[in-house]
Amino acid sequence: MRSLDRLFETSARALASRTSRRSLLAALGQALTGAALLPLLPIARGSRAQAADARSKTKGPESCEYWKYCAIDGYLCACCGGTSTSCPPGTGSSPITWIGTCHNPDDGRDYIVSYNDCCGKTSCGNCSCTRNEREKPLYRPSRNNDLNWCMANADSNYHCTVSVILGVAEK
Amino acid sequence: MQSLSRWAAALGLAVASVAPGATPAPPPPLPAEHLTLEKLPARGPHWVYVVDYAFANEIDGRVHLYDGDTHRRLGQVGAGFNPGFNLSPDRSTLVVTTTYFARGGHGARTDLVEFTDATTLAVTHEIVLPTKRMHAIPTPFNVAYSSDGHFLYVAYMTPAASFGVLDPVKSTVLAEIDTAGCVLVIPSGPSRVSSLCESGRMLTVTLDATGHEASRSMSEPFFDPDRDPVFVQGIPSARGFIFLSFLGDVHDVDLTGPQPTFAPAWSLADARERGQWRPGGEQLGAIHGGLGRLYVPMHRGGEGSHKDGGTELWVFDLAAHQRVARWPLKAAGVKPVVAIAVSQDAAPLIFAATDSADVAILDARNGQVRHIERSLGQTPWQLITP
Repeated sequence: MRSLDRLFETSARALASRTSRRSLLAALGQALTGAALLPLLPIARGSRAQAADARSKTKGPESCEYWKYCAIDGYLCACCGGTSTSCPPGTGSSPITWIGTCHNPDDGRDYIVSYNDCCGKTSCGNCSCTRNEREKPLYRPSRNNDLNWCMANADSNYHCTVSVILGVAEK
Repeated sequence: MQSLSRWAAALGLAVASVAPGATPAPPPPLPAEHLTLEKLPARGPHWVYVVDYAFANEIDGRVHLYDGDTHRRLGQVGAGFNPGFNLSPDRSTLVVTTTYFARGGHGARTDLVEFTDATTLAVTHEIVLPTKRMHAIPTPFNVAYSSDGHFLYVAYMTPAASFGVLDPVKSTVLAEIDTAGCVLVIPSGPSRVSSLCESGRMLTVTLDATGHEASRSMSEPFFDPDRDPVFVQGIPSARGFIFLSFLGDVHDVDLTGPQPTFAPAWSLADARERGQWRPGGEQLGAIHGGLGRLYVPMHRGGEGSHKDGGTELWVFDLAAHQRVARWPLKAAGVKPVVAIAVSQDAAPLIFAATDSADVAILDARNGQVRHIERSLGQTPWQLITP
């Protein structure tokens, strides 16, 4: 739960340069109401992030130090039967997320990262990871990792968290 | 002579008792026992409720009742998934907001409030909520009573933010109040609820006698959420709450009037320390009203370290805005402190939960570590002294 919320922290500054806070919150609201769009998002994100994992020279996705986890707070799905971009078998993915901006030391770029929670089973309990770069308190939910982002799922129990690259952060 | 004869007599008895072939007399049997139910003793001056979020298995949160004088656990309250916890104004009732899933780890979600008699630790009744309860870490403002105990407020997030107004006596949900852009339930007086807003302002909603909105007002910004956000875990003070910022500014909010008022902020750190030493953790500080002292766990760290535990306990004179002591914790065997509370009696104790799930007990007058209770739960992130 916490990890999903905190995804937004590290990328907050970069996001602010191109997206207002209100529009981010509005997007979250749209995600909740526009249920038909929700399943598409994780699929599109997943393919890009998998490629990044494969070429990383840094510590891998089962390490809390992995570069994409700069604003995560929860259990790493890569240690729970999933990967850094896929939920473990039998769980569901959260359609609403928070976002972070993480620096990839392999290519020197900053990336916007979405932190989705995987839902429907109790907490994985393996590879607890708390990093809070630019994380903000609960009154900035789009940057907060203390919330359970499975909150809107039919099965809203929190299991673990993935990190999915959305794109390169604009300078 | 006399002593010698006694010695010889005793020796004779001893020899007789181990003589070959003799059977030693068996000890008398233990008496039959009777199963009983323990009752809580009268409330002690150094009791503390320890909220264990149970991060590794979040459906199984608990609240432990612990006695800082006897160093014993006295009992437990079930708290379920992502609980909120608070006490009624008269301290007679413990209230837990939680979520249960129909099949344990999955299935239909039921959000509810559970009421527990503080003198027996037995659940007395419940109120089922709309499935909107905010799922988040413990804060003082996930659930809270009005000052007269007439209303109970519960924070909602779907992620649209609102809060529920409940009648804890009639066990009914009275109303839902929209608080778009603002979160949590910060109570004041018999009918006011304030919330912290993403704009750095405070929203205050005043309720009518039926629990519905009578009026609302928005304050001017009292902190900068971009440059130096405040932690949401307010510290109870004489006239409201104190909110600490990531960099250690002290925002003293007076909630005794119809609108909140904000004293000029002051800093925990001097110019040289600012940005180097910071508050952090899950429950940021505690105030002893009688001593006029503010206790804050502080750590060395930079941006992103705001959930790190304190390696020192800094003590401040609240009236003078002056630091009066720095108490190192590591040398005293205390791991980084993530949550802190202090009893309000004349011989006060500080309870300090660590990132290793210990709870250290310190004398609030001099910082002396009295005891360290190991592994009081799994992730003790909130402490409340009754």
